[in-house]
Amino acid sequence: MTTPSDPFVFPREYYFPPFFTRQTNLTTHHAQLTKWSSLILSYCRHHRLFKISLSDFAEKDLFFNKQLNRRLSLSDIREVIDFMRKNDNRAEYADSDQKNGGAGKDGAGGGGGDIVWIYWRTPEEWASLVESWVEGTAQKGTVLTVYELTEGEGTRGTEFWGIDQELLLKALQILVKRGKAQIFGQEDSLGVKFF
Amino acid sequence: MGNNPSRITAQDQAILDLKTQRDKLHQYQRRITLLTDKETAAAKQMLAKGDKPRALLALRRKKYQESLLQKTDAQLEQLEKLTSSVEFALIQKDVVFGLQQGTKVLKEIHAEMGGIENVEKLMGETADAIAYQQEVSEMLGGRISNQDEEEVEDELAALEAEVLGLNKNTTQPLPSVPDTQLPQVEEAEGDSNRVKARPQQERQAMLA
Repeated sequence: MTTPSDPFVFPREYYFPPFFTRQTNLTTHHAQLTKWSSLILSYCRHHRLFKISLSDFAEKDLFFNKQLNRRLSLSDIREVIDFMRKNDNRAEYADSDQKNGGAGKDGAGGGGGDIVWIYWRTPEEWASLVESWVEGTAQKGTVLTVYELTEGEGTRGTEFWGIDQELLLKALQILVKRGKAQIFGQEDSLGVKFF
Repeated sequence: MGNNPSRITAQDQAILDLKTQRDKLHQYQRRITLLTDKETAAAKQMLAKGDKPRALLALRRKKYQESLLQKTDAQLEQLEKLTSSVEFALIQKDVVFGLQQGTKVLKEIHAEMGGIENVEKLMGETADAIAYQQEVSEMLGGRISNQDEEEVEDELAALEAEVLGLNKNTTQPLPSVPDTQLPQVEEAEGDSNRVKARPQQERQAMLA
């Protein structure tokens, strides 16, 4: 899903060795966490990555600056992920039924997964995108397949073309709760009708 | 999820099935396209190695896959036509339903009006009442012209005087423009001529 067309431009901090070391001073640490979370978000947005595997990515250029030979350790990565989760729900662990409403006592225990959703666009934002597209193309009241939304020819120009199907389902569930859509059909041929 | 009852009809399910079939065909096409690309790449490799028969084989396979693609294209078209027909039929059904409802309402309104005979009777009654009223106003109008005409005319004259009097008070009586010739001196004719000429000249000068 990575488009090698225009390479990602890393921010200035990326070339600053202390950026990869966990800061002790609280204020600096908070600033560090904030900068890391925005770096992760823009990286994933650029490469259109919806889910990442932490262990995988620990070796990749996002967390490992080969030039400086500095890397962000796995536990530090998790810290950033947890910060993103608690801050504004921009990350979510994808394994099992982790409810990320953990009251803070699940520091390392609750977030033990490896696969993380990175919401450079939250499911709500995806939901409103899909909704406005459906309204714009006057497809309210018609039946669409989930496959068609992610991989169909009709949606090729939209933002959500090629989106991870699970993420799309999350977004559609939000619309279902609002009463704006209904999902039906079998497991691998799900359809959705918008109202 | 039991709050809102399902708003999915059987027709929706049917359309979903059709669309799922279409999606499956679409996926199949993509797979085959990938295969043909691979075969072309393989053929190129074989040629580079100088292995003509294997390259030919790869190309033959690619040809076969392309024919499969064409067949699926045709089937896709069929499916899409059917799907759009179903969707259009649903719309037509709605139109017919709308017409039914509209006609029913129209009939109800007609019934409320009480039927055509009722309307005719009503129109007749209205015409009668209007004619009656005309007669009454004529009678009343006639009586006035016999008895009080003089009084009315006197009142009209008085009003007229009042209105004119108002006009007289607002405008000043202007002196009337003299239209007689100026008194000529009758001494000499020549003089009189000159005098006559002068006022004429003056008059002309003024005009100029």
